Amino acid sequence: MIRELSRSRLAWDSLILALIVVSCVLVTYQFAFDQAGALGGFQLLYLFDLFFLVDIGFNCVTTYRSRGVEVVDRKLCTAHYGRRMLMVDIIASVPFDLIAWVLIGNGQFLGGSLILALRLLRLLRIVRLFVILRRWEAFSWSNPAVIRVIKYFVSILLLIHWLACFWFYSAFAAGFPGDSWVARAAVLHADAVDQYVRSLYWTITTMTTVGYGDITPGRTTEYVLAGIIMLMGASLYAFIIGSIASLLNSIHASKNRHWERIESVTEFLRDQKVPAKTNAEVRNYYEHVWERFQGVDRNRMLADLPQPLRLKVLLHLTESIRQTVPLFKHSSGLLRDALLTSLESQTYTPGSIIAHEGDRGRSIFFIAEGDVEIVSVADEKSYGTLSNGDYFGLMSLTLGEQRTASVRALTYCEMLVLDHEDLTHIREEFPEFRDILKQVSAERSEQISALLMEGVVL
Amino acid sequence: MDIKTTEAGDVSVLELTGHLDTNTSPDAESAIIALIDSGATKLLINFSALEYISSAGLRILLATGKKLKAVGGDLRICSLNDTVQEVFDISGFSSILAVSKDQDEALSSF
Repeated sequence: MIRELSRSRLAWDSLILALIVVSCVLVTYQFAFDQAGALGGFQLLYLFDLFFLVDIGFNCVTTYRSRGVEVVDRKLCTAHYGRRMLMVDIIASVPFDLIAWVLIGNGQFLGGSLILALRLLRLLRIVRLFVILRRWEAFSWSNPAVIRVIKYFVSILLLIHWLACFWFYSAFAAGFPGDSWVARAAVLHADAVDQYVRSLYWTITTMTTVGYGDITPGRTTEYVLAGIIMLMGASLYAFIIGSIASLLNSIHASKNRHWERIESVTEFLRDQKVPAKTNAEVRNYYEHVWERFQGVDRNRMLADLPQPLRLKVLLHLTESIRQTVPLFKHSSGLLRDALLTSLESQTYTPGSIIAHEGDRGRSIFFIAEGDVEIVSVADEKSYGTLSNGDYFGLMSLTLGEQRTASVRALTYCEMLVLDHEDLTHIREEFPEFRDILKQVSAERSEQISALLMEGVVL
Repeated sequence: MDIKTTEAGDVSVLELTGHLDTNTSPDAESAIIALIDSGATKLLINFSALEYISSAGLRILLATGKKLKAVGGDLRICSLNDTVQEVFDISGFSSILAVSKDQDEALSSF
């Protein structure tokens, strides 16, 4: 089976995507501008057909997602593909034009070659292009907004190309009479590339509502066609502008929301006559939160997740602290998981007090990131600093004593906090936790003793 | 707090009863200093009747250990109840002080 989101499928889909675009351009170009050319030209198309036939085989054994679960059963996958896309892919991939050419030869259809008209069936491949892009939206690394931009641009460019081809074909099908635009624009005897460029130029100027008027319709069918293209152009123009604006907004949606929040908070603080210095601190805090977490409230995000998923995310988010904090290093898998799901993340700004002198300890603080200073605020005496991986709060909590010093953030600090209730619960559930605490404390006994001798209890 | 001092060979045994906290630790400290000043170098503190120890109590133990080390002596502690044992564990004292299960084990370790 081929996994829907595997690298090999991604690489194959990229190739198929490129072939879809090229074949959709080539078949319409040949149909409009190369009717007089050899039917055997554009043999490349038949090579492409081989790739698309192989793609049908791959699609039969590619997994799909149903209600968020990947279905890997081969029969189910084939049946799923058979029900939805198989017929379209077969019509778009089997070279019916070649079969008809061999069996009945060329004929006339809509004023042009029947074989070239049959080649247009390959345009159905555009459906597969959307299927591939929808699959790519499911990749965790992909930005759905970017995929949508790709989808819009490819669709619009192809539409312009097709309309340009159709615009020229309308004159060709009538036999290039003197009042047709081709004759009046003096490109009747120009080479195909020149004719294509003129046709494309007229389509773009008409669709973008520029309309220089140097190429104009001359016959009733051309007027009708020009009217339709103008209407499509105007609608498309409005659609493109609207879509691009909404896409640009959605690409930076979270950033915009975050800045709007900062603006409203700082404006509120200004209105409330909060000192400019404090206001600047609040703004700096939000900027830090953006840089560190892209504006996501980690605690709320984690609370939204079901327990097993929350644990998976937490294991990743706390990878570095689990390697530096001794408590995690010595814990078994189950105990580590219980600790992780009980920890609350808190952010402190430089200079703020994390633990106050005189408070009775209710929590243990693990420093995930940042530096803190143990300090007596009253006499500004410093008892040293702690940094990434260090922890404090256990002594005051266990002894039931008031803290005799404060802990102040020196930098922006990300703390993981374990409160008393969770600690008690973990102690009851995991008897080995006490031995781990003993082991961890033994490793830090010199630091604890030095602080104790100075009268510091944290 | 009740402080009882006995001799077991060349070891001075100090038995503390009740709470060793900010209020009672000055008495305990005086008793210990008196013993060291009188020439005792081997000191065993028996905690079998000690119900609670605070940071002030822990400080006295650290200071006593240092003093005895300076005069070439030795400090042993024994018979910790569960609460005191936990305080010793989370403060790292279990690893920096010689703690024995009971008095006999402590005496034989000198």
